[in-house]
Amino acid sequence: MSYLIEARHLSKSFGQKAVLQDLTFSLPAGEPIALIGPNGAGKTTLFSLLCGYLPASSGELKVLGHKPGSSALFGRVSALPQDAMLDPNFSLLTQLSFFGQLQGMSKAKALAESRRVLSLVDLAGSADLKATALSHGMRKRVAIAQALMGSPELVMLDEPTAGLDPVNALQVRQLIATLSGEASFIISSHNIFELERLCGTVLYLEHGKLVQQSAVQSAATQGYVTLTLEPGAYTDVLPQLRALPGVIAVSDSQKYEYVLQFDAELAPDFDLTLLMALRQLGWRYRQLTKGQTLEQQLFAVTAKQA
Amino acid sequence: MSAALSLFGRQTWLYSRFELQRLFLTPRGWFALAAFTTIWYFLLRYPIYQASVQLQEPEIQQMLSGMLGMVGMYNLLNWSLPELSVYWALTVFFMPLAVLFATADQTCSDRSRGTLRFLTLRSSRDSIFFGRFIGQILVQALLIGLSLLATLVLAVWRVGELPLSALNAALVIWLNLLIVLLPFTALMALCSALVRSSRLAISLAIVSIGAVAGLLGYLVWHFPDLRVVLEYLPGAQLPMLLGAQGWDTLKHCGLPLLQTAVLLLIGRIVMQEKAL
Repeated sequence: MSYLIEARHLSKSFGQKAVLQDLTFSLPAGEPIALIGPNGAGKTTLFSLLCGYLPASSGELKVLGHKPGSSALFGRVSALPQDAMLDPNFSLLTQLSFFGQLQGMSKAKALAESRRVLSLVDLAGSADLKATALSHGMRKRVAIAQALMGSPELVMLDEPTAGLDPVNALQVRQLIATLSGEASFIISSHNIFELERLCGTVLYLEHGKLVQQSAVQSAATQGYVTLTLEPGAYTDVLPQLRALPGVIAVSDSQKYEYVLQFDAELAPDFDLTLLMALRQLGWRYRQLTKGQTLEQQLFAVTAKQA
Repeated sequence: MSAALSLFGRQTWLYSRFELQRLFLTPRGWFALAAFTTIWYFLLRYPIYQASVQLQEPEIQQMLSGMLGMVGMYNLLNWSLPELSVYWALTVFFMPLAVLFATADQTCSDRSRGTLRFLTLRSSRDSIFFGRFIGQILVQALLIGLSLLATLVLAVWRVGELPLSALNAALVIWLNLLIVLLPFTALMALCSALVRSSRLAISLAIVSIGAVAGLLGYLVWHFPDLRVVLEYLPGAQLPMLLGAQGWDTLKHCGLPLLQTAVLLLIGRIVMQEKAL
């Protein structure tokens, strides 16, 4: 099977400081992949290794079967690097069309492609501006636009919505969701809820180590529901929920939010049972979600490992 | 293999051409051109024109020939027009210094800004490094050509005709200047690959030249047999070059070409290894 990315015993150190330690994982093409981890976990370093910006200290890394930075990947892999800016001396259109020409397009095609990607991020009207004339959010959108030039097979986005206002962040999420059928995305973000909505697979890094690689919606959906109640005065919530037929365990993850683990074979219609119980108790709910949230899933695992 | 070479050649040419675009189509380039024009106006109007007029005087010619002959530059006044003699003497020493400043930002600000991260996803670091270097050479070729043309126009205005030998001499000077400037441009390509700002690149280049010259001077003082090493420093061939004449000057091009190759090779290694 050919993988999008294959890493074997990958490590990266800066002097004495080991930033990534012995990472081994394989990622198939398909649904967007989330790269999650706290600050300093090594996400950006892993991104830099995948893009060929940094050499690995040891181990092996292949992107689409090739060494990162290899000429075989030009135009096939694109990225939104963190904090990278375009040249302030040229207009957006000039630079993007230059990128297009580097990718092998004719000048006319590169210009048309530049206008297309600028439209995708709602910046068609700013094509003749220079990077210095743009706000932080607009610069981020241009950087996303350049990552969509041509037909990349793999698009790596480092914090794609950081610094964007809610409307533009939503637009970027919708764009990724729309394009995820045409290209594979790897997205690094601190916004766990955003990744939950977009991604199918999660790589969780902590202290430079791969803590977890899992599918977002598979195991988590089996035998779990997450219940969020309307704020109010409730008594004995946990005992009442634990008393429901089929329930194995109940935990309160946040105020008014409860994760119920149940036996899916014994109680196949557990969600209906729960709704009826809520009605009988007179409790109003705000949200009922099948499975655990990504946050619960990840923190449950890391808490157990700790 | 041939596909990879063809890709390298195409992308290198795109980068080189983009440097010309930077000169002619950006405000930064226009300021550089305006500064270049102003400097050359004053050089042509005063030192070159005035010296050319003075050089018409047989007594001055005789005196200068004697003086220059003593330092091995007896051919300096033998160019077909006095304007070209003054141009050659001025530029051969002044341009290498100007090039240190003008070509300092080959890759450094793109590295510090992160622009190289966009570029390396589409092209090799070699294409960027050599493309920018060749772009600088193209810019120099163009600007030296323009300044030589202006010098010839000044000469025609004074003497009323343009001898064919003057065109030939201008071509020789153009080619020689390009070769003289090659190692200095390559040195800046290397320094630019090492640091993250053009100011640092200039400082690094000046300090490096000074340190190498100082170290070699110290070694030669203690080990006189090493004197020959001084002849391999960038620009070491310039006094000999001024002593030659016509196409004969090209016999001194081996050293700068070798220095350029070595500096580019080191620069390429730095560019390959440097984190972006």
